[in-house]
Amino acid sequence: MVKLEFEHKQAGHCESGVTRNLLNYHNFKISEPMAFGIGAGLFFSYLPFLKMQHAPTTSFRVWPGQVFDRATRELGVKTAIHSFRNPKDSMDKLNAVLEQGYPVGLQVGTFHLPFFPPEYRMHYNMHNMIVYGHNNGTYFISDTLMENLVEITYEDLMRVRFAKGAFAPRGRMYYPTLVPENIDIKPAIIKGIRKTANNMVGIPFPIVGVKGIRYLAGRMRRWEKKLGPVKASYYLGQVLRMEEEVGTAGAGFRYIYGAFLEEASTVLNQPWLKELSIEMGENANKWREFSYLGSRNCKKRGKPDQSYDFLADILLEIADREEKIFRKLFTIKK
Amino acid sequence: MEENLNPVYKNKAYGQYRELSYSYQDGGKFEKTVGFHGEADRLILQQAWDLFQERIEDARQRVLSGKASPVVYYMEKNLLDPLNLSMMAGISLWRVKWHFKPGVFNRLKNKTLLKYAEAFNITIDQLRKVD
Repeated sequence: MVKLEFEHKQAGHCESGVTRNLLNYHNFKISEPMAFGIGAGLFFSYLPFLKMQHAPTTSFRVWPGQVFDRATRELGVKTAIHSFRNPKDSMDKLNAVLEQGYPVGLQVGTFHLPFFPPEYRMHYNMHNMIVYGHNNGTYFISDTLMENLVEITYEDLMRVRFAKGAFAPRGRMYYPTLVPENIDIKPAIIKGIRKTANNMVGIPFPIVGVKGIRYLAGRMRRWEKKLGPVKASYYLGQVLRMEEEVGTAGAGFRYIYGAFLEEASTVLNQPWLKELSIEMGENANKWREFSYLGSRNCKKRGKPDQSYDFLADILLEIADREEKIFRKLFTIKK
Repeated sequence: MEENLNPVYKNKAYGQYRELSYSYQDGGKFEKTVGFHGEADRLILQQAWDLFQERIEDARQRVLSGKASPVVYYMEKNLLDPLNLSMMAGISLWRVKWHFKPGVFNRLKNKTLLKYAEAFNITIDQLRKVD
């Protein structure tokens, strides 16, 4: 029987929320946008060759696990990360770590997660949550997606930790072991911003970053002709689901990143970042407008409300805005 | 707190929880709000579930008319595609696709059937027919 004194806070994005809550437990106060920004979570990629739920994958975030890894590394926090072959070993290790008094972050699959909202119960293996105690085969869970604390049984937990399929979690568990007393977050913020800017405008590859948005716009123009109106609207819906639904806190993380820039400008005392945060907010509203107009197309399946050319033009405008923002962010100095 | 009366979802169990989201108001203020999904968000989620239902129904018809094996039906029912099914069952992708033919499926050994049954979390008897 272990039950740690854990303060649960709901968050927009599961992994940065988990990072925030874990660091908060070790008396290092940090906001969720800050954890997301230092972890350099913002990204864009369009992968037409990788189908997810029968449509090409669009991703607005970096690889799962990177936000926690980067944020703790840049802040100088010592962490332990394990993954397992044997499910029983992983549960024994989890119990042992809980008994030492550390809450543990877990990567899980969502399809068999009993407390998860049913409308989200699809095969998605990149969800994160925190275990903060156990008692007689019942585990106490803090899931940042949910408003309240929840519980799960031993068998269910083992099952979701070893969900199979693409991006299988393999029982991945992670927790901070040593958080230094005086952390200077300024260099970490600068490094995080540079990394994000490089991800968005610095990679010479056509399907990632700002170029990826333009590539998606080009593909979108051809969808209706190539796939027919019904399938085209489903492909569009897939982009929007990735943008709005899977724990992105709205507009594909652009709101949360704007909040980070706003906070960073006061911490670093650089007022130009505040201006960029305003631009980011407007850009995020543009994404929101895109998803609002796009969702009309998804409703009237056969007859598109807006032409795909019109939506692609919005994407091109967004790409131009983001390129301007990230080129400026690239020049950040101490 | 806004009211949760949006009739987009066809399943009554959907749309019952509130999530946190960020927003931006003109004038440079980022805000955190906890609330139900808006209509636009619901439309795109419902679209995905509509497609899943259609595919399940389509697969059931194909199995009943003898054009596909029950593996196809259970694959669609578990919202999987052939690649994910092959990862879950531990059977190579081309073999999974080969087993979609009813004639091939009827000749399968119990050992292979058991792999599928475990992946779908059902018994072998259930696997042999569709409900």
